[in-house]
Amino acid sequence: MKEQKADVWQGTLALMVLKTLETLGPMHGYGIARRIEQTSGDVLAVNYGTLYPALLKLEQEGYIRSEWGVSDNNRKAKFYSLTRAGRKQLENEAKEWERTTEIIARFLTPGESS
Amino acid sequence: MSLNPSAGSSPRASRHRRSRIRGLRAWVLRALRVFSRERADTAAELESHLAMHIEDNIRAGMTSAQARRHALVKLGGLSQVEEQCREQRGIPIVEHLIQDVRFGARMLRKTPTFTTVVVLTLGLGIGANAAIFSVVNAVLLRPLPFHDPDRLMWIWATNERSGVRDDVASYPDFEDWRAQAASFESMAAFTWRDVGVSTGDHTELVPALQVTPGFFETLGVQAALGRVFGSGETEDAASHVVVLSDRMWKARFGGRGDVLGQTIRSNEASYTIVGVMPAYFAFSADHPEQLYTPLVRDPSRNHGFLRVLGRLREGARMSTAQAELEVITRAIAQRFPKSNKNVGARVVPLVSALVGSARTGLFVLVGVVALVLLIACANVANLMLARSAFREKELAMRAALGASSWRLFQQLGTECVMLALAGGIVGLLLSSWTQSSLVALLARNFHIPRIAGTTTDRWVLGFTLALSIATAGIFGAVFGSASIGRNFGRLGEAGRATVGSSGARRTRNALVVVETALAVVLLAGAGVLLQSLLAMRSTHPGFEPDHVLAVRLFLPDIKMTNNPVRWTYFEQMLSAVSKLPGVASVGLVANLPLIGAYDRLGFRIPGRLTPDGGRFFRANFNVVSPGYFRTMAIPVQAGREFDASDSAGIPSVVINETTARKFWPDMDPLHASIVLDDGRREVQLAVVGVVGDVRQTELWGQPAPEIYLNVMRPTPPWPWLSVVARTSVEPSTLARTVTLAVAAADPDVPISATKTLDEVRGESVAQPRVYTLLLGVFAGLALALAAVGLYGVMAYTVTQRIPEIGIRLALGADRRAVLGLVLKQAVFLVVVGVVVGLAATVPAAGVLTSLTPAARPNDPATLACVSVLLLTVALLASYLPARRASRVDPTVALRQE
Repeated sequence: MKEQKADVWQGTLALMVLKTLETLGPMHGYGIARRIEQTSGDVLAVNYGTLYPALLKLEQEGYIRSEWGVSDNNRKAKFYSLTRAGRKQLENEAKEWERTTEIIARFLTPGESS
Repeated sequence: MSLNPSAGSSPRASRHRRSRIRGLRAWVLRALRVFSRERADTAAELESHLAMHIEDNIRAGMTSAQARRHALVKLGGLSQVEEQCREQRGIPIVEHLIQDVRFGARMLRKTPTFTTVVVLTLGLGIGANAAIFSVVNAVLLRPLPFHDPDRLMWIWATNERSGVRDDVASYPDFEDWRAQAASFESMAAFTWRDVGVSTGDHTELVPALQVTPGFFETLGVQAALGRVFGSGETEDAASHVVVLSDRMWKARFGGRGDVLGQTIRSNEASYTIVGVMPAYFAFSADHPEQLYTPLVRDPSRNHGFLRVLGRLREGARMSTAQAELEVITRAIAQRFPKSNKNVGARVVPLVSALVGSARTGLFVLVGVVALVLLIACANVANLMLARSAFREKELAMRAALGASSWRLFQQLGTECVMLALAGGIVGLLLSSWTQSSLVALLARNFHIPRIAGTTTDRWVLGFTLALSIATAGIFGAVFGSASIGRNFGRLGEAGRATVGSSGARRTRNALVVVETALAVVLLAGAGVLLQSLLAMRSTHPGFEPDHVLAVRLFLPDIKMTNNPVRWTYFEQMLSAVSKLPGVASVGLVANLPLIGAYDRLGFRIPGRLTPDGGRFFRANFNVVSPGYFRTMAIPVQAGREFDASDSAGIPSVVINETTARKFWPDMDPLHASIVLDDGRREVQLAVVGVVGDVRQTELWGQPAPEIYLNVMRPTPPWPWLSVVARTSVEPSTLARTVTLAVAAADPDVPISATKTLDEVRGESVAQPRVYTLLLGVFAGLALALAAVGLYGVMAYTVTQRIPEIGIRLALGADRRAVLGLVLKQAVFLVVVGVVVGLAATVPAAGVLTSLTPAARPNDPATLACVSVLLLTVALLASYLPARRASRVDPTVALRQE
């Protein structure tokens, strides 16, 4: 039960992470969290913590890679960047997402039947 | 837009595959990282995250304390995130398992006595099961060494009227079955018949298998040397060919290759050796056959002597074959009602038929060791419960520190499995150490085919592993269900020595009752067997078996049919043996006592009818020579035994006491006579003597009426005879000279190896003795385990009750009263256990009669002895804890509170 919910959440979050990294280039966890919070409103408002397991998973799957670097404020931070597989995955996922939302939208739009 | 599945299916499928591969990659990475320490990395990353966030917050105008707090809240707790990352990084189950195993090992090391007792208990229980299983595996489970053995069936004849379910079949019946049963690819039959084989100075009787055509082909075996019988040879005994067993080939021909074409003399004819069977091929269970000869067809449907086996067609089912044979036997019964009215057929797998009567014994042993293991499980569950009470504090502490109850359960479960696996290893060691003695014991006293192949193979290993885990499941479940509901979270209370939750206490008491009950069942079984064994041992057989030697011989047809020739032979032989130095007296008998053979015949008593109006009375008949009763030291109670004068004049019989009492209760039988009537002519025989009863067939039950005929007069054909010689020296030293003297009278008469009557008597109780021994060992084990279990519970209870006992003592209670208090509790539990056990024994005891027909299940005296024994042991086991309770120092006890 917990598992499934986490999967859905992680899937969404993963897509947002990949998109963020595509837009911003290499970025540390804190930066990604702030960016997602800014763009998505309250998805991440509750806690940033959920981001880190998602980052780990993406890294394990080979969609992103990480290396330690120095932030704008001269802090040591771990920077994540998209891999080639990550880019492709983002492309696929985005397409899939669009198609899904389109279908769902058709279902949910009242009065129109196909 | 249409939702055409084919439109995007191919890229989507490949995407799915890719994501599966990615998932796999993630798992592999995670698995690899189980042991790695990347926690520092996560910590540093989170630290830097916090630092940046705090900086931003301060820039936004918060105080540094506010900024830090806000950042931490936003993150959702540092350690929580770390934990989540750790779980994502490693595989939690594996990590937990390793953690649990480490921790469990530490806990078990910390309580070495507990661990040792538990592992030994489980080791004994599992070891007993592994040992018995290794025998069952070798004897019953391993496939027979024949081609495609699953299709091999044994077909018994059955008799509806007599209720016999494993009868022999007649030759014509076998032929009809073979011709008509389409489920069978082939069918063949054989019979066991000892044949005489000349060894030079005498003719030895050796066990042989006489087989129909297709016997070896049906089994799918070939000769190791030479060939098996051709189809022509098997039909006609006159072709005089023989196939040797490997055993005979090695013993008598030194395993030489030039044996083919040689001849052996058997039954006054010579047979040509055409083949030698491979070593693994020993078909007979009862006595390993030495050679194989063709079987002669007997056209009578009345003469059942064949054991039939068949090979099912590929894909044919046993049930189909059974149904088919039922139709066939019904048709035969209609055509030949006189001989076949009640004859049916029963198909069983060959392997179970070959094991024969030992199968029941093996199954009983399997049940017995299962009970022993159950007792062990109950014991271990009990010990774990007692220990977990002491561990409550630790468990409560861990629960308070955030361990979920699932996690605690996992931890305890891991400990259970570790204990069980350790027990399994000990059990395996015990089983392989005792295996050879067990196999030797069984093989010496039972004819169990393939028992010599008992080894600890991978099946035994697998069985033991599975059994260990199942064992962990059983005692873990009992333990777990008793601990569930106990609130581990109550840190404050758990530390104190409470009396233990009532649920756990009830479980502990119930376990003691169950253990006791199971031990009672096993002890009662062993007791009943022991009682019957002792009864048999103390039964006087009616003759004096010590210093008597017996040689069995088989009369060839020519002597059977010609009375004077036979009598001359008997006289010569008996006088030759009686003249040997060391031989005191000699006699001849058809059915030697205690080998189980008897011949029941009908006879008439002139002028009398049976109670139900019939003409024929029935008794066991035996044929003896003059001197037999003296040699056997069977007392003559009235009249006389046969002597030379009986060879002429009126034919005579000697009867036993039971016959006299049964048929002539109120008159002197010495003036009575009986009439033997074979339908063609009748012979009147005068009773000349009454002798003491002899246990003719077995040592238990009442002696049967026996009537002895004189071997020196015309008798029904009795080809089997035994020479008995009473010796003044140790009988076995005369074995060779007696054999040669018997052989000298006629070298062509086949004779068997000699036996002393002490050996014969020993063999008659050999199997009950083995069952008693094995059951006794297991029952003793059960008793010891039950005693340990009771001791554990009482010791624990006493520890728990020390404060209470202290108060009692402080208030002036008598120490003896305290002792009694504790003992009373133990006795109560054991009495309940004994009652439950006795109640369970009564219906179960019937199985014992299948092991020993002499067994008297539910013999009150035996059950009483068992109950007293258990109570005594229970008192001893609880005495030590009780004494400790009575010696409690009140001040110390009260301070503990």
